[in-house]
Parts: sequence; C-alpha cells; structure tokens
Amino acid sequence: MIPVSFILNGKPVRCEVPAEETLVDTIRNRFRLTGTKKGCGTGDCGSCTVLLDGTAVRSCTLLTGMVEGRSVTTIEGVGTMDHLHPVQQAFVDVNAIQCGYCIPGMVLTAIALLRENPDPTEEEIRLAISGNLCRCTGYQKIVEAIQLAAERMRTTGEEAAR
Amino acid sequence: MKEKYIGTRAIRPDTLAKVTGAARFTADLAMHRTDLLYAKALYPPYAHAKILAIDTSEAEKAPGVVCVMTYKDLPAAFRNAYGADEPDKPILAEEKVCYEGDAVAILAAETLKQAEDAIQLVKVEYEPLPVYEDPLEVREIHPSPIHKDHVASGDSPVSLSVTVKNGETQPAFDQADIVVDHWYETPTVDHAYLEPDVCIAEPDPIQGGITIWSPQHAIQNAKQDLGAVFGLPQSKIRIISTVVGGGFGGKEDSTYDVSTVAGVLALKTGRPVTFEFTREEVFRNTGKRHAEKIHHRLAADKEGNLLGIDVYAAIDKGAYRSVDILPYRASYYAGGPYKIPVSLAKAESIFTNHPYGCAFRGLGVPQANFAMESQMDYLADTLGVDPLQLRLQNIARAGDRLHMGQVMLEERGLGLEECLRKAAEAIDWDHRTATHFYENQGPVKKGKGIAGFLYGIGTGSSPDGAHCLVQAQKDGSFNVQVSQSELGQGLLVAMAQIAADGLGVPIDKIQVDFADSAASVFAGPTTSSRSTMYVGNAVLDACRKMRERFLGYAAQMMEIGVDNLDIEDGNVVVKGKPKQFLPLSAVIAGAYTAQIPLAAIGSWYPPRVYFNETFTNDQMHTYTFGACAVELSIDTRTGLIDVEKCVLACDVGKAINPSTVEGQMQGGLAQGIGWSLMEEHFFDHGRMKNATYHDYLIPTSMDLPDLETIIVEHPSDLGPCGAKGIGEPPLVATAPAIRSAFHDATGLFVDEIPLTPVRVMKALKDAGRIE
Repeated sequence: MIPVSFILNGKPVRCEVPAEETLVDTIRNRFRLTGTKKGCGTGDCGSCTVLLDGTAVRSCTLLTGMVEGRSVTTIEGVGTMDHLHPVQQAFVDVNAIQCGYCIPGMVLTAIALLRENPDPTEEEIRLAISGNLCRCTGYQKIVEAIQLAAERMRTTGEEAAR
Repeated sequence: MKEKYIGTRAIRPDTLAKVTGAARFTADLAMHRTDLLYAKALYPPYAHAKILAIDTSEAEKAPGVVCVMTYKDLPAAFRNAYGADEPDKPILAEEKVCYEGDAVAILAAETLKQAEDAIQLVKVEYEPLPVYEDPLEVREIHPSPIHKDHVASGDSPVSLSVTVKNGETQPAFDQADIVVDHWYETPTVDHAYLEPDVCIAEPDPIQGGITIWSPQHAIQNAKQDLGAVFGLPQSKIRIISTVVGGGFGGKEDSTYDVSTVAGVLALKTGRPVTFEFTREEVFRNTGKRHAEKIHHRLAADKEGNLLGIDVYAAIDKGAYRSVDILPYRASYYAGGPYKIPVSLAKAESIFTNHPYGCAFRGLGVPQANFAMESQMDYLADTLGVDPLQLRLQNIARAGDRLHMGQVMLEERGLGLEECLRKAAEAIDWDHRTATHFYENQGPVKKGKGIAGFLYGIGTGSSPDGAHCLVQAQKDGSFNVQVSQSELGQGLLVAMAQIAADGLGVPIDKIQVDFADSAASVFAGPTTSSRSTMYVGNAVLDACRKMRERFLGYAAQMMEIGVDNLDIEDGNVVVKGKPKQFLPLSAVIAGAYTAQIPLAAIGSWYPPRVYFNETFTNDQMHTYTFGACAVELSIDTRTGLIDVEKCVLACDVGKAINPSTVEGQMQGGLAQGIGWSLMEEHFFDHGRMKNATYHDYLIPTSMDLPDLETIIVEHPSDLGPCGAKGIGEPPLVATAPAIRSAFHDATGLFVDEIPLTPVRVMKALKDAGRIE
C-alpha cells in the first residue's frame, strides 16, 4: 500500500492504495464518485475520462500513485443538477445524451477542449472527442452541443469564472 | 385530444442526472453498497470441449471466498438452463462446453480482488472436441455434433427452419427475362454497448424471493424466465432495470448471463451478490448479431418488373438458441419493400460453436434487406436503368402485395416513396457525375448510393400487446407505471408527453415509473421498436379511462352535462367558459371519497395474427419506411472508404418527440456504417480473436460524417396520434446504400460486408483495377 495525496474536485484528499490500483477504481471505490464510468478498463473507450490538472486523461490507465500532488476533476466537480456547467447545459438542450454512459467523459473532454480552444471548428471538436466512444448517438448531437456550448461561453464568458 | 406536448422537443428528464454523473447505473448502485459479495466465473479456453474433471479445492480455501459452485452444487430445485426463447443454456456447464462463454465454475468472495484471485485456482481438465464454425457445413452433420436432445430441436443441427411459400415460383423463373442470382455474406458483430453487463441479486428474507437489479430490455419476461431457473414462483422474482447503458437488443439475453450467476450465488449464500462482466467477457460471452450467408435469386422481366424470389438464408445461430425468431424474419423480409407476386424464402438458424446469436437492432432485417437491395442494384445494372427509378417502379403501394402476400394499406401510412425521393434529393442524386472507375479520375473515386426498406413495428408474434398502470394522486399528479426500460431511446419523455396530453395535465405532473416489476404490469419487452406504439396506446387507453371517471364526477360536482367538460392544463374546465373550472386535484380528491378508484390499467393489442403453414399471413400490421442515401470516396491506394455524406429519411407516422427520433436515426446510421465498413468478429477454432475495443472497432467521431435526418410523417391509424416506431429501422438500409455507392464509384459489386480496406483492395485487385 502506498499513501497518495491529491486534490479531488477542489478538495485535498489522502488515501492508501495498492501500487497497481488505477485512478478510476480509486475514484469509484474509495471516494464513491460513481459519475466516472468504467467501460473497458483498457484505455479504449474513454468513459472514465477525468481532468488531471485540466487535461483530459483516461483514469483507467493511470495509476493512482501517479496523481500525487496533482489536481483531479471528475464530473461531480463540474456542475450540479441545479447549476449546470454550460457544456452540460448544452448537452441537455440539444438532447446529445442517450444512454448516458459515455457522457461524463464526453463532457470533461469537451470542457478541456474549450479551455484550450474556445472557438473550435467541427473538425477540431471531432478530433478532440475521437477517444471517447459513444454507441448511441452517432456523435451528431454531441458535436452540436459542444458547438452550442462554445458559442454560449464565448458570449457570456462563463467559463472564465470556473 | 389536444396535442400540447406530443410533437414537441420536450427535454428528457433523465438527461440532467446523466450529464452530471448523478444517474446511477447498476454498477454504481453496487459501488454504493457495503454488504455485497463479489462473483467471478471461470470460462473455458476452448469453444468446444468435454469437461473431464473440475477441482475447486484450492479456490475454496482462498481468502475471502464464501462459496464455490460447479453444476454439481446447484440445488435440486434449480433448473440448470435458461434462455430468452428456450431454456437451453446452462448456468454451469455439465459434460461439455459449447462455446467459450460457458461458465464452468462460479464463486463469491468478500471482495472483487479476492474473487478474481480465487477463480484462477479452479482447475479444469478438458478434452478438446472438433469446433464447428460454418453453418453450411455443420447443417449436413446428423445428429448435431453440438447438441443432443436439445429442448427445442432434439438432435438436429438446425435450431429453427422457416419457409415462406407464396404461390409457385418455378413458372416465374421460367418466364423471367433476367434471373439475378448471388450469395451474400454478413459478419458476426457485437452490440458494443458501453455499459458492461452487471447484476446485483439480493435474497428477500421477508417473503423468500429474490430481487435482481440488472440492465435489460424485458423485466417482466425475466421475472418469468428466472422463476423456473431459481425454482421459485414467478411472483417472488422482482426485477429492476435502472437506466441502461446501451442495449440495442443485446441485454434482452445477456442479462441472464450475469443474473443467473449472481442469483444462484445469492440464494445459496443468503447474501446479496454482484457480478459484472469485464469488457473482454462482454465480447466473448454475450450474444451477437447473427452472421448470415444468403443465396438470393430474383426473377424479373426486361421492363424491370419483379416476378418472384427464391431465397435461402443460413444463419449462424452460435451455441444456444437465445432469441431465435431470425428465420421468421429472414424469410419474411427477403423481398424488401417491393411488390412481388410469388415467393419461396427459406431460412435456417444452425448451431455452431460461436457466441449465441441474439437480438440486435433490426433482428435479421438488416441482413435480409442487404441481400434484397443488393439484388435490386444488380438488376438495375443489368437493365441499364437508374437504381432509384427501378425502386420507385417496384415499391409496394396501397393495394399492392409484398412477396409473402401481405396487402399494403394506405391507412397504415405508406411513406416510402417520399422517403426515397427526399433522400435522393438530399444527395443530388439526379446529378451523379462519377459513375464507374475509369470516368472517375484520380486515385480517389467518388460515388453515390441509395437503398430503401420497410420495417414492421412490434414483435409480430401474437398475441403481443401492452398494458400499463396509471394512478391518480389527490394533488392532481399521476404515476404512469410501465414495465419498459429506459435504454437512452427516450422512453420516459415520450410516455410523459403522451400521458400529459392524454390526461390534459402539465407534463411536470407526470412521473413515469419504469422497469420495476413490482411497479408495473406485464407488457412485453422493450424491443422490436414497439414501445411508442404499443405502450403509448396503452397509456392513452388508461388516460381515457381516467378522464371518463374524473369528468363524470366533476359533472356531478359542477351540476353540468359531462359533454360540456374538458381537462386542460390540470383543471376541469367548462368548454367555452374559461373562467368556470375546478382544479383536477379537487375532483380527484372528491372522486376518492365517492369510492371511485384512482388507478386504471390501460391496454392495447394490435390486430391478431394467426400463423399459417406457409407463413403468408400478415405478421406485421404497421411498417416504418425509410431510405438511406450516401456519398462516399474510396482511396484506391489504401482501400479506405470515407463516408462523406449520409442521409436518412424515415416515415415514422408521427414524431412524438422529433429530437429523440433524430437521436435514434443518427445512432442507427452510425451503427449501420460500422456494420458496413469496419465491424467484424474473427474466430480461431471458435475462440474470439478480437475481444477488446482495441481490435473490435466501432465508429469514432472521426469515422462518421454529418448524419442528416429527414422525418417523414404518414400516420398509421393504429398508432398513438399516428406514431409508428423508430428504434431499429434506422440501420436497415445503410449497408446496401454504401455498397451501392461503392459500385457507383468503382463499377464493382461486392457481396460481402464489412467493406474493410482488405475487402476493398481484394475487389479492386480481382477486377484488375489495381496491381
């Protein structure tokens, strides 16, 4: 067991984990943050995407020991049902969500993209989410939602406050 | 009935919880519990092998292990067999394994890690048996080398055989100017839903039953099927399917693969048990879309009129029966949406040592339609006519008969022609410039293609029907209780829209209680694109009963004729006098004191079907129609196909919620493109060679173009407000449309999918188009 301290959704946390434990299991099993989904466990589907110091990463291929001292954001740290992040709001508004299993990872990937690039082209959006598999939507409304979120965020500057 | 919500893009209630991560899927429910045992199962390294010996002694001694079981440990009351159609799949293999997803031993331990470690200590001695993978070969072996005394098919290598025989086909082929005769092949593919199969099983100490939480399509069917498995009265089985992380037909059966194991261990130990497949186990163990080999013969005259078909489809059934109505579907849809006077269409599902073939969006129709629409392109090419015009010439219009003899009825909504024309227009079909390889300059060839389809709504197995329970609350709100599942398709919002309009109340007063067998009545599965029409009609029926009761009582309260009253926006109003009204809550509360029941069951049945010997009866009463049109390019240096434009026009009768209808259409197209271009399971001696997302490829956002949807509405007189269904139809015409565009670009027909770079390069090479 190794001790690990990191920032989880803005709060400092500490745990002891086996050296081989991956971040997705730590997040889900130890902190009971079940918004992060485990779709494959092999780094292929992107359902377990979280933000590590603002960058979208797959938490199933990241050892928990590697996040020592770093900042991890899960979907629970992004918005609440009463106060959605503009990306979340756009996903709801255009019905970009079907079964919803890929959505937390998809939202976090989109947030990371829009921080880097507030005005992405459709191609840039497609490239950014190409590591997040969705089997329900054909990505059409997801791309539209990210475009809508980008437009709204550029207009309101809401993201800057976060 | 005023349509205030029906037809609008009402927001789905489940999306808020899903987008914030607050929605708990079944594995999340397990994660929030601390009292669970964790199950693991041992699967064989062979697709066909005799079991000589099993030694569980080491596993039993492993830390944390509470219970280890082989078939010998199953209580006598249990039935070691389950399956969606017939109980033929063992929970625990006895004498042999028939595919690599047959569990040989199972165990439960205090932690998942302990279970994972312990299962590796189970030792099994096998004697490998010959592996059977080609349906056409194994069908010639009698008795079946895979199953002896099979519960449904005895010693036959064929699971089910169905032949549609409508008239005499020989004269049609004798008279024909043209006979189009080809074999088609389609692959074994996986649903690839993102949420792995999972179950929590918890014994009920109060009344001796069991509760199963597992994502699935058909909770009431599971209640029935699992009763016999667990040796319990069906009434003591409670099934709950919380939001499902994608199903596409697969979880109709795969839920049993996990819930039998978790259930057996829970009943044996008396403790709640959870069992979740790894992604690899999902790929290896669960059902697949059946691979098919189809021999299609089409007779036509030189004017392009279809005279008859003669079809044989060999269906790779895999190891177990699962959902085995495929032969019905393969033969029933063998003629596509066309008027065809005579038909002989035979289809057989044949056991192999592959994963069992199960329901997958379209259930056999995409395969059948691929063959028929490909035949139409061959015929158009032979005649030298426009493939679109040939289709428009032959589609079954009102009064025409499909190949199995069914007469098309205008009142059921016949929108195929509009779909074909609109889809063609969207890709500027009349201005195709790039026909055929040599006129198509440069190494990247471009082409356009189109294909149409029809798709019957409902299971087609009579007496299919739906029921629901609607309960009025004294504050004027309502519970609409349905046994259907929320798979992401938008069940909750559609039922709420229908109920709100059916009752005349604001949509936020409607709570849809879903997929809990303790809060719903038997209503059939959430499959076959049936929920909108069947359950929607049942909901309307219950709403009508509610309105009659409450309007009747309000008429007494207000001392006014009932015909003068209506319910609008949650108030009982006097028609034409908007200031005279009573809140519905007051009416309901009053009705209760007057001993008027506040609950009603709503029911709906489609016209009854009786199968005849030649299967020429009308199995389906309403069809959703559609046409898919694509533009693509083929890089002849790499064999890569890029779908640049993809349009789907669907006649859905009436879009209850256009936004969710579009979602279904786009998702279906994406799966259709995957099936056409990239998805395919490979086997080596029956063992899957690509059991990860790494090497079983499904479309990413970069593989897909803008998916354009066109909603066409030719209402069916049977549907709620004319609505048909849209869950499965969207992928039915994608593959033939892509094949058609491939032909337009290269002048070559390819009769096998997926059109992977390997197949494309081979086709180009065989034709001498490249070196």
